[in-house]
Amino acid sequence: MTLSKLSLRNAKRQAGDYLVYFVTIVLAAALIYAFNGLIFSKEVQELSQLLKSLPLTIVLASIVVVGIIRWMISYTTNFMLTRRSRELGTYMLIGLESRQVARMFFLENLMVGGAALALGVLLGNLLYQALRAIVLALFGTPYTFSFFFSVKALGLTLLYFALVYLSVQMKSRKRIRGMKIYDLIYYEKQNQGAVIRTSRNRRRIFVLSVILGIAGSILLMVGDLLFGLIGAGCVIAFLYSFFLCFASGVPAFFDRQPARKYRKQNLLIFRTLTAKLASMGILMATIALLFTATLISEGTGMIFRAIFRNRTAQNSCFDMILSGDAQTEVFRDCKQYMDENIPVRDGWQYPVYLSKDDTVTAYLESNMKYHRYYKADTVMRESDYAALRSMLGYDAVTLAPGQYLIHCRPYVAAALTDWDRTLEIGGQALVPAGLRTEIFAQQAYDVNGNGFILVVPDAAAEACVVDHTMYAALTEEPVGAAQQEALYGLQREAYEQNGYSGDMLLYTRSAAEAEVAAMTATTVFPLFYLALVLTMTAAAILTVQQLSETDRYRRQFALLRKLGMDRREMAAALRTQFGIYYAMPAIPPLLIGVPFIVHLAGATEPGIMVGASAPATIVGICLGLFFAVYAVYILLAYTSLKRNVLPE
Amino acid sequence: MLQVRNIEKYYGSKNNVTKALDRVSFDVADGEFIAIMGASGSGKTTLLNCISTIDTVSAGDILLDGVNIAELPSGELARFRRERLGFVFQDFNLLDTLTVEENIGLALALNHSDPNAVRRQVGAVAQKLGIGDILEKFPYQVSGGQKQRAACARAMAAGQSLLLADEPTGALDSRASKNLLEIMSEMNSGMRATILMVTHDSYSASYAGRVMFLKDGRIFNELLRGERTRAVFYHEILDVLAVLGGDVSDVI
Ligand SMILES: Nc1ncnc2c1ncn2[C@@H]1O[C@H](COP(=O)(O)OP(=O)(O)O)[C@@H](O)[C@H]1O
Ligand SMILES: [Mg+2]
Repeated sequence: MTLSKLSLRNAKRQAGDYLVYFVTIVLAAALIYAFNGLIFSKEVQELSQLLKSLPLTIVLASIVVVGIIRWMISYTTNFMLTRRSRELGTYMLIGLESRQVARMFFLENLMVGGAALALGVLLGNLLYQALRAIVLALFGTPYTFSFFFSVKALGLTLLYFALVYLSVQMKSRKRIRGMKIYDLIYYEKQNQGAVIRTSRNRRRIFVLSVILGIAGSILLMVGDLLFGLIGAGCVIAFLYSFFLCFASGVPAFFDRQPARKYRKQNLLIFRTLTAKLASMGILMATIALLFTATLISEGTGMIFRAIFRNRTAQNSCFDMILSGDAQTEVFRDCKQYMDENIPVRDGWQYPVYLSKDDTVTAYLESNMKYHRYYKADTVMRESDYAALRSMLGYDAVTLAPGQYLIHCRPYVAAALTDWDRTLEIGGQALVPAGLRTEIFAQQAYDVNGNGFILVVPDAAAEACVVDHTMYAALTEEPVGAAQQEALYGLQREAYEQNGYSGDMLLYTRSAAEAEVAAMTATTVFPLFYLALVLTMTAAAILTVQQLSETDRYRRQFALLRKLGMDRREMAAALRTQFGIYYAMPAIPPLLIGVPFIVHLAGATEPGIMVGASAPATIVGICLGLFFAVYAVYILLAYTSLKRNVLPE
Repeated sequence: MLQVRNIEKYYGSKNNVTKALDRVSFDVADGEFIAIMGASGSGKTTLLNCISTIDTVSAGDILLDGVNIAELPSGELARFRRERLGFVFQDFNLLDTLTVEENIGLALALNHSDPNAVRRQVGAVAQKLGIGDILEKFPYQVSGGQKQRAACARAMAAGQSLLLADEPTGALDSRASKNLLEIMSEMNSGMRATILMVTHDSYSASYAGRVMFLKDGRIFNELLRGERTRAVFYHEILDVLAVLGGDVSDVI
């Protein structure tokens, strides 16, 4: 028996006893490796110029991820050291030097970490293929399997883990070498007291913490950076003081309420729970904080993606849109390039007019959440409208003389269902002839109005002023990246030569889609990566803590069995205890995270967060994702504990 | 071989001090088998922990073969524990991931002895203590008495000269206790081990050659067995305990 053999045996035991922790490191390593793969994949880099910032955002997310993993490993290592005090003391008792004990422990952790890393990299290759498939799908490129192995990705993963393990091991080495043999052998007899002792202080701190929590949540939603930071600080302070009070307050509460204490299994549940919680206040708060961060990153990621996608989706009925003042060089040069280089299936150039008043705009502003972009209502000729409808394959619409119709987006239509006003446009009095809501490039400036446009007889429109000229087209093939570059080049050149003359919109569907895909990859991916690791590490630590009580529970339940408690009651007590334990750190994040997501979603311009991107749907998906991961950990812990604790 | 000079031990902080040992002095000669008796809380464990270097004294000196153990640097101390001292606790204190054989030989093996020599040495000690047939088993697979004998074997395997035992029969039934005590006597007489055993049980104490009584951290009395039989010695111990207050045997 040599030191390394003993370490190996202990490593195997560690991986078994702390299986949940081990699996979490494997998964984390897999995620880190897979994302590193994206950084170093030529194929992904070549998908689009816009993915240039992908490595940066992934590395930034990885740094946070590595920090969190370091915290988990450091916490668990420390926890193991404490739980194995007696064993370490015995080594020293039989004459091992603390130096040797430290080396043994180091080797043990190196083996566990090394095994986790090796498994993680293997799994990471599969995960990489999944990520790659998602990225390719985002860019509309068909997925074909191609084996990928990157020495650089592996190297970076190794570097991250080496840093984590070295720093953690240095800490535990210091701790082991400073340990007194007496403290180790008699560790179990020493108890830690509750952190906050007197109940008056506790009540004060509790009230203060709740106030801080509410204030923090409100500040977070103001949207201002400074207030946001102060708000985040308040929320963190709230979580810590809340859990410190809670952990020491629950036992005190039940001591003062004997009637409650002795009802059914309450005594059992709360004694086991509070024994655990009394020493876990800070940990619970940290975990609640991580869960809050999870919900916020998931929510933010989904909202970002919805914004990117739904904004440009408004224009996606056309393959190409050019818009601005038709007299400027910018417009003419681009238009000329399009005519000469891009085969167009169907195209139409037309003016968008401004009425002399803003009846509809003002009505919308006062009746719904609507942002004004034009100083008056936008207007279009009936003939242009008919041409565009036929180009887009929409059914034909005819206006009788003296009528106008409103083409608007569904969110605006909802406010106009009872619209019946007669409008005076271009000197004619026109009566409404209904609404049309097909997708029609109606997002913000330089398009067919913001949210709505009035379609009027040609003569009425021509009596109005022209706001901008649009050229909308469907192309034979998607506009290529090179053509897109050329168009951007012309636009830049014209700006440089003539100065900035008026807004100009240059939209091609293929470029917009690539941009959405790139934005998704560079912001949403890292946020979800972060969220996943946050949930996993926090849930793993909760579970390690819970499972470390297995022996105690077993003894307790064996005794209760002898005292005549039946198995069903015991299972019920175990479940309740479990439920409370896992619910506690998840409740404050729900209270903070859900309003935050709803608020953030509501802060975007109207008409964006609808349908599959509605705030409720986003909240639902975030909670679903979070609880899916969390539930796996809870289920693992519960089945393991039930198997080991409840007598058959 | 062991000289204990005026040791004192205090626990606790400034305003709440417990005096666990109060000017305790005695000598132990080579090859002695000494029992330390006393009521619960009288300072027995504290005394043993101070001698075994698990704990440190607040005042006074402990000399082993003339060396003051308080002055040893930590590296020396580990070597000292390894080569000179053996420990047996009430709750066995075996490592449950190791087999009985590995538990006994661990310290030897880790200190670069030749593996075959370690095996031989472990085998020989185990044979003498009657556990030669359970060497391949893990601690959870053997009985309490066997575990305690394994702990004794571990305490002796490296040729340690001083065996310190804190209530070694505390967790054993009477048959296993008797068996263990006989083995300890054999270790003392046959293998020339010096034994210092803490116990609250007069029957266990009667196996020793000398019994020291501790009360409130002080040595209260001392009894030598001399040429008397164990049965006679046992009754004498009971007599002293009656004077001491008689609460010794029934309180753990
Ligand atoms: N770590 C400690 N901290 C404070 N007091 C202690 C500690 N260990 C022992 N004591 C006190 O010292 C006295 C002697 O204890 P101990 O040596 O364990 O007695 P025994 O082994 O004879 O039962 C007791 O009063 C006990 O409460
Ligand atoms: Mg004791």
